[in-house]
Amino acid sequence: MLLLLFRLSFLSFFPSLSLSQHFAPTGTKPHHRISVSLNFKQRKQREEKRRMMMKLDTSGLESFSAAVPSAMAAAEDQLFAPPSFDLPAGCADFDKFQMEAKQTLKHAKGTTTLAFIFNQGVIVAADSRASMGGYISSQSVKKIIEINPYMLGTMAGGAADCQFWHRNLGIKCRLHELANKRRISVTGASKLLANILYSYRGMGLSIGTMIAGWDEKGPGLYYVDSEGGRLKGNRFSVGSGSPYAYGVLDNGYRPDMTVDEAHELARRAIYHATFRDGASGGVVSVYHVGPNGWKKLSGDDVSELHYKYYPVQPTPVEHEMVDAPPA
Amino acid sequence: MSIFEYNGSALVAMVGKNCFAIASDRRLGVQLQTVATDFQRVFKIHDRLYIGLSGLATDAQTMYQKLVFRHKLYQLREERDMKPQTFASLVSALLYEKRFGPFFCQPVIAGLGDNDEPFICTMDCLGAKELAKDFVVSGTASESLYGACESMYKPDMEPEELFETISQALLSSVDRDCLSGWGGYVLLVYAALLTPTEVQEKILKGRMD
Repeated sequence: MLLLLFRLSFLSFFPSLSLSQHFAPTGTKPHHRISVSLNFKQRKQREEKRRMMMKLDTSGLESFSAAVPSAMAAAEDQLFAPPSFDLPAGCADFDKFQMEAKQTLKHAKGTTTLAFIFNQGVIVAADSRASMGGYISSQSVKKIIEINPYMLGTMAGGAADCQFWHRNLGIKCRLHELANKRRISVTGASKLLANILYSYRGMGLSIGTMIAGWDEKGPGLYYVDSEGGRLKGNRFSVGSGSPYAYGVLDNGYRPDMTVDEAHELARRAIYHATFRDGASGGVVSVYHVGPNGWKKLSGDDVSELHYKYYPVQPTPVEHEMVDAPPA
Repeated sequence: MSIFEYNGSALVAMVGKNCFAIASDRRLGVQLQTVATDFQRVFKIHDRLYIGLSGLATDAQTMYQKLVFRHKLYQLREERDMKPQTFASLVSALLYEKRFGPFFCQPVIAGLGDNDEPFICTMDCLGAKELAKDFVVSGTASESLYGACESMYKPDMEPEELFETISQALLSSVDRDCLSGWGGYVLLVYAALLTPTEVQEKILKGRMD
């Protein structure tokens, strides 16, 4: 009896409270508080009702006019009807939709870049393809960014993100030079970038970059990404084609290579990555960073490299569907 | 990426003067990774009828095996080869049989019919036929192919010119697609006056990235 009265009174409140009900959090207790010790069964029923009332709460969130009983609806419509609309299809779960939207902007780092330190300095190499899903949007993207005459950064991930933040880093490095009357170290520059990217963590930036340069301590190479990671190392490759590049790079690497050997190794590694990976291609650019700054060594079209490394020969057909020979 | 973009493919067929050409790319991939660069997508049914199958590679191979089986039965019963129009209807029916669990492949059929009249058609994965008088395209690079074919095609081309046109259209389109390319394969069939039909198969040197 008690419970029935309780429910009726709640419903009578509902139309006039409908506005506040919109914004009431789902877990709040209703106004009436009956402090009576209830047995287990009554407590269970209370809980169920509360859960049902919580359901009532959320139903009000769907559409303003739907929540209001029909008697009031006509009047309410003319007076209060806000511009109500159906959420777009696929938006029933808004959090998932937002996650998917961020996912589409994530360019999945379709590229191949690599950099390694050896006795004569740092070699930096990259391909030049930009892809949007399956479509090739450009075959001539500059993925090695010149931060200043003695430091280079590579681009992997979102092109806009990389271009903007590398330019920003160049500005900060120049300001450091002016303020301290000496060049910034590679350690310092990579730390500046890593700290900026860490502060934007989780907001959807997509950057996987390597900062390579030559400072007072000699050659320096750091890997910095948009998750906020920063690693010091001797050999790195970043992007969707990196497994293929690592295979060639790790096999041919020696610390005591000449500049020409290192150049050829980097070019070969990127070429093999462009062959196997669909999201890498275009032109291989190779740079060398020495004590006097960086210098671009070559920019070769990957397709021409293929026919140079593997000239055309008549190849035996491996898979051919043939008819069964007649009996 | 959808199931049609899992392996990657590009197919085009064009009609010329008493001849037709059918061309495909040669890549077999697993999403972005390239696994083979000599994958066959254009298959012979009989001397004057060829079918290219784009989309999921395993479904393309299975479809081909089913079609060869059906055609051989037809040859035994009717004691002659199938006409291209009949074959197109056969493919369409086979695809629609699997309406609620389809084969994920899009065929491109090209053949010489009666009076050496070239016949081309394409279908979606459920068997909706699209007959065309000029060219048909299929695969992950289909949008680029439509553009390239539309601008390069002329009616009543001679076999040599048709070969050039279809090769250029194919190569320029797959250069804009991550999932297809790595070479090209062109098959040109024309009804010559002296010999019954002449078939030319050529492998194209394309970008390997």
